[in-house]
Amino acid sequence: MAAYIFRRLLRTLLVMVGISVVVFAFVRSIPGDPAVAMLGERATPEASARLREQLGLNQPWFINFKDPAHLFNAQYPKYVGALLQGDLGNGIKSQIPVASELKNRFPATVELALGAIIFALLIGLPAGIIAALRRNTVWDNLATTVSLVGVSMPVFWLGLLLSWFFAVVLGWLPPSSRLGIGYTIVPITGLDVLDGLLRGQFAAAWDALRHLILPSIALGTIPMAITARITRNSLLEVLGQDYVRTARAKGLSPRSVTLKHALRNALLPVVTVVGLQMGALLGGAVLTETIFSWPGLGSWLYDAISLRDYPVIQGGVIFAALVVSLVNLLVDLSYAFLDPRIQYA
Amino acid sequence: MNRNKTNAVFKPLLLTALLAASAGLSAQAATLVFGNNGEPVSLESGNITDGISILVQHQIYDTLVHFKDGTTTTIPGLATSWKANADATSWTFNLRKGVKFQDGTPFNADAVVFNWQRFFDPKNQYGYRDQGRTYEIVGQLLGGFKGEKGAVIKDIVKVNDSTVRFDLNMPSSVLPDVVGAGYFGIASPTAIRKDGAKYGTPNSTPVGTGPFSFVSWKTGDRVTLKANTAYWGTKPKVDTLVIRSIKDASQRLNELKAGTIDFTADLSPDSLKDVTGDKTLAAVRKPSFNVGFLSLNNNNQYLKNDKVRQAISMAINKKAIVDAFWNGLGVSSTSFLPPVLSWANSKTVPADYKYDPAAAKKMLTDAGYANGISLDLWYMPVSRPYFPNPKPIAEAMAADLSAIGIKVNLKTEDWAKYLEDRNKEPGFDMYMIGWTGDYGDPDNFYAAYYGPNAADDINFKSPELNTLLDQGRAAVGQAAKAKIYSQIQDITYKANYRLPIVHSQPLAARRTYVQGWVPSPLGSEAFNKVSVIGKK
Repeated sequence: MAAYIFRRLLRTLLVMVGISVVVFAFVRSIPGDPAVAMLGERATPEASARLREQLGLNQPWFINFKDPAHLFNAQYPKYVGALLQGDLGNGIKSQIPVASELKNRFPATVELALGAIIFALLIGLPAGIIAALRRNTVWDNLATTVSLVGVSMPVFWLGLLLSWFFAVVLGWLPPSSRLGIGYTIVPITGLDVLDGLLRGQFAAAWDALRHLILPSIALGTIPMAITARITRNSLLEVLGQDYVRTARAKGLSPRSVTLKHALRNALLPVVTVVGLQMGALLGGAVLTETIFSWPGLGSWLYDAISLRDYPVIQGGVIFAALVVSLVNLLVDLSYAFLDPRIQYA
Repeated sequence: MNRNKTNAVFKPLLLTALLAASAGLSAQAATLVFGNNGEPVSLESGNITDGISILVQHQIYDTLVHFKDGTTTTIPGLATSWKANADATSWTFNLRKGVKFQDGTPFNADAVVFNWQRFFDPKNQYGYRDQGRTYEIVGQLLGGFKGEKGAVIKDIVKVNDSTVRFDLNMPSSVLPDVVGAGYFGIASPTAIRKDGAKYGTPNSTPVGTGPFSFVSWKTGDRVTLKANTAYWGTKPKVDTLVIRSIKDASQRLNELKAGTIDFTADLSPDSLKDVTGDKTLAAVRKPSFNVGFLSLNNNNQYLKNDKVRQAISMAINKKAIVDAFWNGLGVSSTSFLPPVLSWANSKTVPADYKYDPAAAKKMLTDAGYANGISLDLWYMPVSRPYFPNPKPIAEAMAADLSAIGIKVNLKTEDWAKYLEDRNKEPGFDMYMIGWTGDYGDPDNFYAAYYGPNAADDINFKSPELNTLLDQGRAAVGQAAKAKIYSQIQDITYKANYRLPIVHSQPLAARRTYVQGWVPSPLGSEAFNKVSVIGKK
């Protein structure tokens, strides 16, 4: 197992190097100049050229052939040199260090992703199980319809609708943001709900939880629908297999057959899908974060792409790729836990 | 105990309790929450170009020159008075005495020179240009940096502790307006030296002389400020000011209705009915200080024909478009200048273009295109106060043009590419764009889109116009300026290269208990006069 994990981590490192080159070249290849994007309506050719020069964007990308004495006086070698020292650079306009923003924003993204996945599992798993066990009944139809609606609903629209109904009409929950005015939680993990509890600030933790509910529902609706469908289909498939029939023939209770024998096997594809979704959610959720003014990675990266903020895009994508790789590794390792027949050597 | 005795004992007690309760109420910390339409880029003055940053900075910093509430009229700020020499090539500013920065250090001529030198001298060690600072707004509004050809400012010198002088390379009567623009707040030199290149980021402490002091900046979420009780002007009416970043306009309205923010700006014009229908809210129409226009490209074989451009100007029903898409929050006119600068308009140019599709069709026929022509119309992929919803506005213009025989191909692309491609030859046939003013002078509008090289996107060159723009910048007094800018409008109106569609009034709103808010047309008002009495 240890050797397997080591090999996977080594492979992840190689993937990161590859991604750094690809992202570096890719962001510079997409049309649209950072200087022009920064200047907006003011972007005359002269102003853009001056700013491009100031920002060092006129330097060669990889190798400076014009000056053989300083071949590596180019953008990528400088970037990698800084990267090896843990410096991801600063936002091109804001000058905010990318690393410090990742540190500030990633916990917010993790908290929202966890909220969304918990919502998805709390609703999706029981719905899928009930739909499978009560196949072709009104419950099955209801679960299938809800999951279809969930998959089809635009997050943007759902977010605004939730916010309007629960915050404006009912006044039960705050419309957006992560924490109410007047609350401050000194971070331990960066997850406000957890940190509030750990620090004994129960009112603040409750407030953070109230802020988390609506964005979690908005973000978790699609994973919930997918989870319900995958669980239903997977469980139906497993329930039709010989060993389940054997278990029933042995006189085991239906509850025991379903929970101990069928469900555990049926969960393997569910774990794969939930893991993939978790990986995607940890890369940031642009629309949900924008609608709910959630200070996570998604809206930050989206703005960076609009502004062609190269250091932020590079740092953000490399970080997101690292997170996705590690989550995938965890998912692979969880298979061994769920199915003892699987062994990693 | 008889009744008199009872009163004698209880009345003072009751009175004391009431006084204590009222003292408790008045001592209760008042918090004002503004919903901003995004996050500030930086809290370092001089190094921003966006309105979101200006609004936050204007709470922390003062500029040398202020503007009268709700107008673009200059009034004393950190400078109590200013005067130009005879040909407006040198401006002397007398500074307010006894003012201190929020860190307790004194505001004086050294501080002004320190700030302006770092803005405009590329070699200034506190400008941190080697670490990514650009101060490009100086290049934009003042023609370039120290030593560059075209730079307006030659040098900034200390005359004495409370006097500074701006020496210019060319006459400029608008310098006080420019230095009053929200970009150029005066920061504490001590704070800048202390924080170095990280000054203005969330990991620093921005320090100015403004009505509020910096407390914290939680990126992507909020900036928290506290009242500067030693402020030299009107003391803030609240203890804490929180400026939240809420990008989505619908969500800002939800927040306002839910009472989680007290006031906000840049709502969609469609929200007007929603706001006015809510008894707890009041709509605030910000003064118009922008122009949304349609640019016609001289590189296009059809559009280089005067008659075709004139036909287009008559074919678009601008009034109907403004009524439909701005909900009464905008006006159309022939002028590139917003209504507040209408004193600079020509008396001979009509107030608006004549909408006359029949005459337009005839004009197109006279131009030799009786069978019609085909043109691309590019619309912006982003929302701006001057064009809050560009696509349907473009569709409406396309429908009007097709009625006279101009087939319109609607196009758009990513915003950064849009801005870049419009300047790449041959450019766009027709495209939507706009401008929001930085300071209250016609020069800021005309120079931005008609100045030297500023009309390269439409291949329009007019030496006469450039000479007039130089004269306008140098002219002193409204009457002298009006004379020049009316000639400029005569030329631009007849040329029909940029057709003003709208001067919009961005919609803002507040909870009814919010009092004393007078939005600035420049988007740079401080919130020190805003109170929240009665807020629960």
